[in-house]
Amino acid sequence: MPGFPNVRLANRPLHFIYLCDCSGSMAAQGKMQALNQAIRQSLPGMARVARDNPEARVLVRAVAFADEAHWHIADPTPVEELQWRDLQASGCTAMGSALKLVTQQLHTPPMEERALPPVLVLISDGQPTDDFDAGLARLMQEPWAQKAVRLAIALGHDADLEVLQQFIGPASGQQGERSPRRPLQASNATSLAQYIQWASTAVVGAASMPASRVGVAGDAGNIPLPDLPPTLMDPMDDVGPMVW
Amino acid sequence: MTWILPEGAWLQFEGLSSPVQVLRGLGGGTQGQVYEVAVGGDRLALKWYLPRCLQQDPHLEQRLLESIRATAPSRAFLWPIALLHPTPASRPLIRTTPAGFGYLMELRPAAFVGAVDHYGGRLAISLGHAVRACFFLAEAFHALHSKGLCYKDISLNNLFLESASGRILICDNDNVDVDGRDLGSVLGTPGFMAPEILMRRDRPGANSDLFSLAVLLFMLLTRHHPLRGQLELAIRCLDEPARRKLYGEDPLFIFDPEDPRNRPDPQEQGAALVTWPLYPAALQELFLQTFCAGMQHSDRRALTGQWMEALASTLDQRQTCPACGSEHFGAQASCWHCDQPLRPGDALSTARGRVQVCAGNELHAHHFDGLESPRLDQPLARVVAHPSDPTLLGLRNLSTEPWRASSAAGQQHAVAPGKTCNLAAFHQLFTPWGALRLEPASPDS
Repeated sequence: MPGFPNVRLANRPLHFIYLCDCSGSMAAQGKMQALNQAIRQSLPGMARVARDNPEARVLVRAVAFADEAHWHIADPTPVEELQWRDLQASGCTAMGSALKLVTQQLHTPPMEERALPPVLVLISDGQPTDDFDAGLARLMQEPWAQKAVRLAIALGHDADLEVLQQFIGPASGQQGERSPRRPLQASNATSLAQYIQWASTAVVGAASMPASRVGVAGDAGNIPLPDLPPTLMDPMDDVGPMVW
Repeated sequence: MTWILPEGAWLQFEGLSSPVQVLRGLGGGTQGQVYEVAVGGDRLALKWYLPRCLQQDPHLEQRLLESIRATAPSRAFLWPIALLHPTPASRPLIRTTPAGFGYLMELRPAAFVGAVDHYGGRLAISLGHAVRACFFLAEAFHALHSKGLCYKDISLNNLFLESASGRILICDNDNVDVDGRDLGSVLGTPGFMAPEILMRRDRPGANSDLFSLAVLLFMLLTRHHPLRGQLELAIRCLDEPARRKLYGEDPLFIFDPEDPRNRPDPQEQGAALVTWPLYPAALQELFLQTFCAGMQHSDRRALTGQWMEALASTLDQRQTCPACGSEHFGAQASCWHCDQPLRPGDALSTARGRVQVCAGNELHAHHFDGLESPRLDQPLARVVAHPSDPTLLGLRNLSTEPWRASSAAGQQHAVAPGKTCNLAAFHQLFTPWGALRLEPASPDS
């Protein structure tokens, strides 16, 4: 007996794009491996969130930038089909070129007429070596980039927080306060994994299907961002952080 | 996931004589995390809050304590059983500062899956069981509202279904509050929130529950959202300001008879165009009432009791297509699945009801007594097919009392509990609740 009518559910694409720094410094202290691991480990959770949000088609891409920028995953790939190939570190930090590549893809077409806000996650451990300002200016001319949730993760202590903040947009909250509208500072592999997991699950959830609201004033922006993962007292912290 | 409570740890809580062993983490969200725990000999679920959640919701503990004292409105709620504060000795084992608190509830059985699986089309469920799930949902809210309580945040995310029975479970009962008291912080979930709550003109309560309930019922019955038609397609980027417009500033039901601006697009939003016409007018009417007059007037929304009646009556009209076996509710002239013309079938007629003769349909006390409110959990009789001849239908006595059947010739037969009476052979059936007779379909209709 046929069951419930097999109707096609209306949905919208949600483009999730990683912009990964693959400069030579990423080879030091296992940062590149830690990033590859963090992204790979986050995929099952991301697929679960995608499954729980039938009104969204979560599609993942990745740009790698070193001496120049190139698409590491060029096709918008459904998260459940994604196989993460390891990124390799060597060269400079062509962050501006990476933004240009993303700009081309956020233009309609190829970008769809209707979509959920894209999520862009920029991960870097250093300073751009090309024209970042020009790349950012071009990016921010695209309406989809303006609507996008832009997050940045700073790896280690040499990351250029100012550049990352420019990518995110105006900061909110107190100086020094942890906020999703500021660069997320990952000082070890555990916190990197937590932030990647948060971006690929909680943020994807918030951008695709709104969560419960409490009656306190939320932060500005076109998508209220979920709370950052709590700072847990990890026993690992007591033996000293894995300093980069 | 990084767990706040260490898996495997034994924790002591104030006022609890036996220690609680954390067996495994089950899941987590922005509010907190849920664990499977062992307490004494029992397996239970423990929800533990994140410090930020406790900070945002200062009255949470008071509401939980009151809910625990009030006990669950019905079995459909995974209700808080006990509030747990760690003892000073156990506090250092908890990986947040402050350690906070949590509450115990029953574990959700594995057969109950998220309602989102049904909405997403991944759950094998029959139409009849989807309607039953809706009835149980309305019944649960009826019990909750009858206790003077409100839920405030019902959405697809806190409802679970058992596809084999249509039974439901409602979790996340920690926003439950006395209606009108407003001792809580939650507003609801966009898409489910009533317009007056989303626009901050009012605070959540029983009337806004009725709106959220109707949205959820509509989604379970149609696999589409009631406000997402062409007005949604006009939006390029569906973000917070767009949702505010769609659900708050200019909310318009996709089937509003007075205003066709938001009809579903057949290409992009075809689901509702297939599923909405399946349902009887009396059920559609409650959606029209809630999403048209009730959109701006919160006191004009369909009430839980009305939903229960209309959904129970929809189940009474359940039939199957003779050609393909698809279920329908007599609302359409041809089968939604195979397009075969449909004719009304025979029905069982009682003092207060009329139930189509279709295997699986049931008779309940409310079919005999107008003072009984509808319920589905204690059927008195069920239409069943003969085990070796599926075309032969009978009525099985599910009660504990014997019935008496009379044939057209006036012969009397006893139908003991558990026995089935051939529907083709009897003229009238006498039960302790009243008589019933077979009403053949009128040949000209």
